[in-house]
Amino acid sequence: MFEPKRLHPVAVLSGILQTLKEAIIPLVVLLFLGGSSGKGIQFIIFGVIFFFLIVFSFLSWLRLTYWVEDGELRIESGVFVRKKRYIRFERIHSIDVSEGILQRIFGLAQLKIETAGSNGGKPEAELTAITKQESNEIIAIFNEVKKAGKRKLDSDHVNEADTGKELAKEDETDSASVVFKQTFPQLFLMAATSGGIGVVLSGAAAFLSQFDELIPFKKISAEAQQFIQSGILLMILMVLLLFIVAYLVATARIVLMYAYFTAEKVGEELIISRGLLEKRQLTIPLKKIQGIKIAENLIRQPLGYASVYLEYAGGSASDRDTVNILLFPLVKKEQLKEKINQFVPGYELQTELKGLPKRSYIRYFFRQLFIIIPIVAAASWILWPWGLASFALIPIAAVWAYLKFREVGWNINGNQLQLRTRIVSKQTYIFQKSRLQVFDRRVSYFQRRKQLSTIAAIVKSGAGPREGKLVDLEQKDAEFMNDWFSYSEHKKHP
Amino acid sequence: MEPRNRISSKALKVWRVSGAINAAICWVITIAILVVTILFDWPYWAIGAAGLISAAVTYISVFLFPSMKWKRWRYDVREKEIEIQSGLFIIKRTLVPMIRVQHVETNQGPLLRKYQLASVEISTAATTHEIPALELTEADELRFYISKMASVEEDDV
Repeated sequence: MFEPKRLHPVAVLSGILQTLKEAIIPLVVLLFLGGSSGKGIQFIIFGVIFFFLIVFSFLSWLRLTYWVEDGELRIESGVFVRKKRYIRFERIHSIDVSEGILQRIFGLAQLKIETAGSNGGKPEAELTAITKQESNEIIAIFNEVKKAGKRKLDSDHVNEADTGKELAKEDETDSASVVFKQTFPQLFLMAATSGGIGVVLSGAAAFLSQFDELIPFKKISAEAQQFIQSGILLMILMVLLLFIVAYLVATARIVLMYAYFTAEKVGEELIISRGLLEKRQLTIPLKKIQGIKIAENLIRQPLGYASVYLEYAGGSASDRDTVNILLFPLVKKEQLKEKINQFVPGYELQTELKGLPKRSYIRYFFRQLFIIIPIVAAASWILWPWGLASFALIPIAAVWAYLKFREVGWNINGNQLQLRTRIVSKQTYIFQKSRLQVFDRRVSYFQRRKQLSTIAAIVKSGAGPREGKLVDLEQKDAEFMNDWFSYSEHKKHP
Repeated sequence: MEPRNRISSKALKVWRVSGAINAAICWVITIAILVVTILFDWPYWAIGAAGLISAAVTYISVFLFPSMKWKRWRYDVREKEIEIQSGLFIIKRTLVPMIRVQHVETNQGPLLRKYQLASVEISTAATTHEIPALELTEADELRFYISKMASVEEDDV
């Protein structure tokens, strides 16, 4: 621990795999661009690339050492350019522990260390393969330092106000922890209603288009033509089967990702861990949470379930998982308010929302019509007279517009702003005034004639902005919200 | 109540000049089409369409949009917040609290420099906002003022 050490040799392998994963698209392109003329040369090029990859990964491993000294985590690395990173434990915001498949086989762990400086880009430092014991020791030191820092802060408080009671209270909340565990039936329900099939289907399409040259599609389609003649029913069955398989794959993928999902609140931190094959653990300081999003998709909403996400200012932009953090993958609607309050104190879900004025419905309807009318016109013209059936889309658009219109609502409760809207799924944002970066109001010419406005409240999420937006609100309400957000005392609207 | 301050009236000139540059590019393309039409006996409607489009672009980007934009542009820098109003067809009013401002900078491109103007860029943790054209001295004062007011309070993101 206090001696310079290397990572576990598995790091070499994981380095190679990581690079291959990042370079997969250029490699595939290279493979197919060459065509069939010079296969030999291609293999030589690949061989050379692969050889250098192995050598480079090995050298990187050889040159990377880490140790703990003087309250710092010290990492020296780099093959050609030596890089020394000394990170004070006080400066570390969070340490994420994950175990990929490779790490699990060898009983290792991967640490990602985040500081304030690692905002947006990659994590400040990464130890890809170390023994569990080492990882636990580093985390223990980190926790120790943090606790010491907190004690110091607390004692400063006492000197100022000398309230021993407050200190005791703080200790109490420190030790009390709440735990949320996703049960297995809920996990399956969540995976089955996730809509992850879209990801798998688009992935399959991308895969097929990439391997265009590999599979003789022309030959297949010639056979397919015969096939079609032999029975359209069979064709439909095949497509159906494909969908079912894709659906099952998508569901299984989510089950693997979110198995054993546990969210735990310990003191001022949330610890979220999940995963069956690949384990991930995230530690999120409460004070870095910028807002909460509650999502109810079209399948879950009638079943009375919702998912809760955290808008989190830390994390690296490249890592999708840390930008969209699930706090509760699936939770009964009745429990939402209580659960959110337990885990993220200060966020109070409100049920009484103020909606839109009736006159804005027509604008919601028009917006749908703008999408629908070209489709209806084209269908009617091309598929005359059967295309006229597409006129049925217009009442459907009217109903959908109504569903969107109906869900929009807002509530201001003390320093909290709650916004609800429907994109496809129903989304509720809860923001605190102290976390909102910017508030804006937009009025178009047509909106002004009807005294309506669009508003957007923006918080920081990951490295970028996240916007909660309500369209066609009563103008007076927009002004009211603007005044609520304004920090100036004097200005009031006439 | 709209924000009180307008941006410099010279901004109108700057926008007209940069609009004129865009228009000039359109006219160059039109002339190229004209040459090709004569050389290769292309149909004449192509040159007519190109001419019409260029004329429209010239009118819109040199005359219409700059004056519309300038009329809409307002800003107010108060003790605790900055309010910015902008937009062509949709008027957008943005409220940025001082404690959210992370840094301010003034920028000056070649066009702005010619007219002794500068733009002020205000960044929060998540967004950036620009006041596009102020007198250089005014922009500098604003930058000093905002960074002074912004550093009074420090908050967690």
